[in-house]
Amino acid sequence: MLSNKLLKPGLYSVGSSDGAGPTARLMGGRCRCGYVFFPMQTYGCERCGSHGDALTPCELSAHGTLLAEATVHLHADKNRPAPFTIVKVALDDGPVIRTLLADGSAPVAPGQRVAGTLAAVGQTESGETVLDLRFSVAS
Amino acid sequence: MTRSLNELRPVYVVGIGWHRYQNPSETPYVELGLTAIRAALADARIEWPAVESTYVATALLGMASGRPMLRHLGATGAPLMHVENASASGSTAFRHACIEVASGISDVALAIGVDKRNPVRRPDTGLGNLAEDAIVPFTHFALLTNEYAVRHNASTDDIALVAVKNHRNGAKNPNAQRQQERTLDEVLGGKRVSGSLTSLQCTPIGEGAAAVIVASEDGIRRLGIDAGRAIRTTASVGRSERVYPPGAGFDAALTQETADLALAQAKLAPKDLDIIELHDAFTVEELHYIESIGLCPEGHGVRMLKDGALDIGGQCAINPSGGLIAMGHPIGPTGIGQIGEIVMQLRGEAGPRQHGGARIGLAHMVGVGAVCYVHILQR
Ligand SMILES: [Zn+2]
Repeated sequence: MLSNKLLKPGLYSVGSSDGAGPTARLMGGRCRCGYVFFPMQTYGCERCGSHGDALTPCELSAHGTLLAEATVHLHADKNRPAPFTIVKVALDDGPVIRTLLADGSAPVAPGQRVAGTLAAVGQTESGETVLDLRFSVAS
Repeated sequence: MTRSLNELRPVYVVGIGWHRYQNPSETPYVELGLTAIRAALADARIEWPAVESTYVATALLGMASGRPMLRHLGATGAPLMHVENASASGSTAFRHACIEVASGISDVALAIGVDKRNPVRRPDTGLGNLAEDAIVPFTHFALLTNEYAVRHNASTDDIALVAVKNHRNGAKNPNAQRQQERTLDEVLGGKRVSGSLTSLQCTPIGEGAAAVIVASEDGIRRLGIDAGRAIRTTASVGRSERVYPPGAGFDAALTQETADLALAQAKLAPKDLDIIELHDAFTVEELHYIESIGLCPEGHGVRMLKDGALDIGGQCAINPSGGLIAMGHPIGPTGIGQIGEIVMQLRGEAGPRQHGGARIGLAHMVGVGAVCYVHILQR
């Protein structure tokens, strides 16, 4: 059977499936001071400077509230043809992230509930479907 | 015990000069930089050997660009160093030139900013990211524009009025890259860039140079500099981003804490400011920063703008030079050019864009990272 491949497996994993496709879990981290961050790293905590064992992986829900959106009309990088829409999302688990709105998503506005899913963005040479995180209006 | 700049010996700006900010050209950076330095020396009426130390602000020229430029002034052997601090490179160079003179290590120091437009190379931290390749600065500020408009019920057309004002100011500035007045329809009708931002609401890509010479009272006396045209730096503060509450805009929060410290250092309140040169690379920034500096409560910036309070001749002239939107933002020079504009205004030498009776000016820059620098100058 054909399998899926994550574009950035260090940043998210596949959660349970729902009608809109596989949901995502974000691979964040938590410091013993309580600070929750994304993505996971062990360099040190931005809030208190603790490092090493003080920082532990922490799966974050991909549900959140939209803070802002912007549709980009001009973009120099030809690997990312405009237009596309960037969303800024306050995750329910704390961190604020910025990433792409799903192609074909309904228009979004600040205050709206949104959720990240893993969307097909291409294929590998061996025929695997490449999945990347995209946000859309929460179902 | 530590001391702030204004607790050390007084330091004054005594010379200012530019090479006009312009569209990318074949002009070598050496020529851009030398033009600005020679203009600043002529303005101070001193000779190059009087300069005891040089800070070269540049972000995009490559390693060790200073000496191949400065040698053409006559190689005096004086120390030089390069300062890269993103958009705040020039402001940072100015701060350290002031500190060197205020500390007594030198009597006369130069801050020169010079840049050509080259590809920006960002460091690889080794950490992954979701889509940072898709979020260039204009999209960062398009997101902030959307947030500001929704939170404060402001129309994006009103936010674009910042560009109309700053193009009007830039039209009167011979050193500005863009010297053309623009109507609101022209601003809104231009090329769409990101979100509601159009090209005339964004700083242009360009090149240029700006220079300022700072001196101590001993230096002013020894060199016979006209003390009546010297403008004192009464506060200098540099800060970097902290962890702010989730969802808080770091640009505005960082500006607020930096400006608060600078105003406290100079023992001034926001209402005392006659002129502000601030980092308006994108229209919404001007509103964020005047609110962060404390000219008005959060969300009231549009009202001040529409009332003309931010115009030359208004309550506090914001970006009389034209700001980054019209004067331009060649990176290394920008923060130094702001100081030059304020000095010109406080001397009463700003010609058709003079803000009458200007006595106190504040210069503000942010740079990606984020860092923030604020200086206050007083007549
Ligand atoms: Zn911590």
